[in-house]
Amino acid sequence: MQTANVNRLTPYLFLAPAAIVMAVALLYPIGYMIYASFLNWNPSQRIGEAEFVGLQNYVNLLGDAAFRESFFVTIKFAAVVVTLEMFLGVGLALLLDRNIRGMSVLRTLFILPMMIAPIVVGLMWRYMYHPSVGIFNRTLKSLGFEPIPWLSDGSWAFASVVIADVWQWTPFIFILSLAALQSLPQSAMEASRIDGATGWQQIIYIKLPLMMPVLVVTLLLRLIDAFKVLEVILVLTNGGPGLSTEILSLRISRTASEFRELGEAAAMSNYLLILLIILTFAMFAYNKAVEARTARLRKAAEEDL
Amino acid sequence: MLSLKTILTGTAVSVAMAGPTFADGHGGPYAPYAGTTLVINVPAHPHYNAMMKVLPEFTKETGIEVEVDQLQYLKMRERQTLELTKDEGDYDMIAYVVFSKADYIYADQLENLAKYFMNPALADPNYDQSDLISGYVENIGVAGGQKGYLPGQLGSAYGVPFGSETSVLAYRKDVFEKHGIPVPENYEQLLDAACKIPEVESGMGGMASRAASGHQASHAFLLHLAPLGGRVFDDNWEPIINNEAGVAAANALKTIVDCGPEGSQTFGPAEAAAAFSQGQAAMFMDSIAFAAGFEDPSKSKVAGKVGYALHPEGVRRGSQTGGFGIAIPKNAQNKEAAFLLMQWLTSKKGDLLVAMQGGNPSRFSTYENAELNAKYPYSATFGEALKYADPDWRPIIPTWGKINADIGTTMSQVLTEGLDPQEALNGVAERARAIMDEAGYYTWQ
Repeated sequence: MQTANVNRLTPYLFLAPAAIVMAVALLYPIGYMIYASFLNWNPSQRIGEAEFVGLQNYVNLLGDAAFRESFFVTIKFAAVVVTLEMFLGVGLALLLDRNIRGMSVLRTLFILPMMIAPIVVGLMWRYMYHPSVGIFNRTLKSLGFEPIPWLSDGSWAFASVVIADVWQWTPFIFILSLAALQSLPQSAMEASRIDGATGWQQIIYIKLPLMMPVLVVTLLLRLIDAFKVLEVILVLTNGGPGLSTEILSLRISRTASEFRELGEAAAMSNYLLILLIILTFAMFAYNKAVEARTARLRKAAEEDL
Repeated sequence: MLSLKTILTGTAVSVAMAGPTFADGHGGPYAPYAGTTLVINVPAHPHYNAMMKVLPEFTKETGIEVEVDQLQYLKMRERQTLELTKDEGDYDMIAYVVFSKADYIYADQLENLAKYFMNPALADPNYDQSDLISGYVENIGVAGGQKGYLPGQLGSAYGVPFGSETSVLAYRKDVFEKHGIPVPENYEQLLDAACKIPEVESGMGGMASRAASGHQASHAFLLHLAPLGGRVFDDNWEPIINNEAGVAAANALKTIVDCGPEGSQTFGPAEAAAAFSQGQAAMFMDSIAFAAGFEDPSKSKVAGKVGYALHPEGVRRGSQTGGFGIAIPKNAQNKEAAFLLMQWLTSKKGDLLVAMQGGNPSRFSTYENAELNAKYPYSATFGEALKYADPDWRPIIPTWGKINADIGTTMSQVLTEGLDPQEALNGVAERARAIMDEAGYYTWQ
């Protein structure tokens, strides 16, 4: 009896250290943030001195046009960059999935942008976008075109930050897709080739479906990241002109430092967190559904045999 | 966060201190503190760069060593906000942006200076407070008077102006002469000149101005609001930013930016100053702190070609008051020694030493100094400009950060997205009122 109890407890005993670390390292900060979001807290105060205001911060935010705008800017930004990056990244991977001499060097070159510190990326692009001495406008002018107001016009500024982000993060999708491609079962490829599938047919019917689980996870990782991007935009436009590039994480940082409203900033972070959790669940639910469908199909196929 | 330059200069300072200091064996007021190391936090700013050159002199004289942490001024403010809430702070003295005055004093984080000036062992009898420029003292140092942030009978001092600034108009003498354009004395002439220059001088913008979304656009707008007769709030804290004067100021800013050099819409102060010093604009109206940079031939293509005039008059004269003050945090470790440094830096001698290195004087006597005027001929104009420095050109209240940011983003929309100024300012006024209401400014109405 005694031994049985101990035996049953053993797994929990082994789990305990990890659970404790997790509670301290993960749950405590999140709990702190959730608690802070109920406070009217100014950075010159300690947290104990802040006034408890319940859901006031959340309600205020819903009524705040600037917050709503920055929420939509964030969604627009994430949707645009992730779509572009997926197409480019997967496309590049399909192109480069072959034995070329010096492939490893090429691959390293391709992922360089990802390795550069975001602040540096921001500064670099900012100089390239510079209205009079930047490379883009100088080139345009020398070719006889009108210079483009890269960062000083709302729509162009949005396009500019999208371009910089796509430049930096396409390699991430590229490298994961390439890894997925290279681990595909050769037997399926060979079978399709014997059946006479063209290159395109192979991509659409064999490669992409088989890569799908990896692509979904990649997409999710990029989406989460895109919702939180800060440094590049901070350096490039600081959210301007107007609110055209003020994504949520930038607004959170401004709310905390410029507006000096730590409670409201925490509430904003929680909105972002909720959005990301919904996205993650949706993605996993989709994945589950797809898996269930393949399992069903396989079962049906096996029964047919 | 320390810039390389800071570290290098800091090291240079410490090295310079190590030498002759203790050999002197001097007594006097500084003796009890000899060997103390003060840690101070200052902005990366021309005035404080000048201060760095003077600090070794202080150490030589007093035996007190100084370590300097220099940050971009908005970053500096963020750092200080965190530092000041600690039980034991790392900084013995801080230079603060003028709009931090409200936050720090309201949160009771700065030492009231009375007890130091009352202490005979610390206060230098030759300090001569009355020589400090009164507009700056009122704006930067004093709190607790009228409206809480202005001077008044019950106000008292928490800081001393050091690196304080007002606005002047810097213009290209050669360009104005070549085209026979008069140096603007009022806003009409200013706006005319701003848009005439790009027509007659190809490739050159009229005036380089701050305009980037956020704090910079707000600053640029307020710069025109006071001389054009406007205010953000009336005496009962009701927003009046959207009255005629406000719209005139927004239109003035829009005209200036539209006729400005390429990329004006996203200029911060550094970019605007760079545009002027690289010859891309014929005028630059901002803080006097930039003048030394314009006259430095290694950095500026316009050295020797720049004239300086008073901030043009609108319906009244009202140039900005801004810049920095120095104060001792409540949680400082070496308050007395920090006071000695503060007193030394802002004394007649210290003020002149810093000014000779390109800093901005905080004393009337320094502006009158013949040696300084010989080295920097524009000093006389700057001294004159001070008479019109308006300590109330922007409110210094705890809610200002949020209102300021809102003015700035909205102005940026006016400048880049064609938002109607009246509509934009109505929105600002409405939101400002809500913020003020929430903060309790209408409790007594």
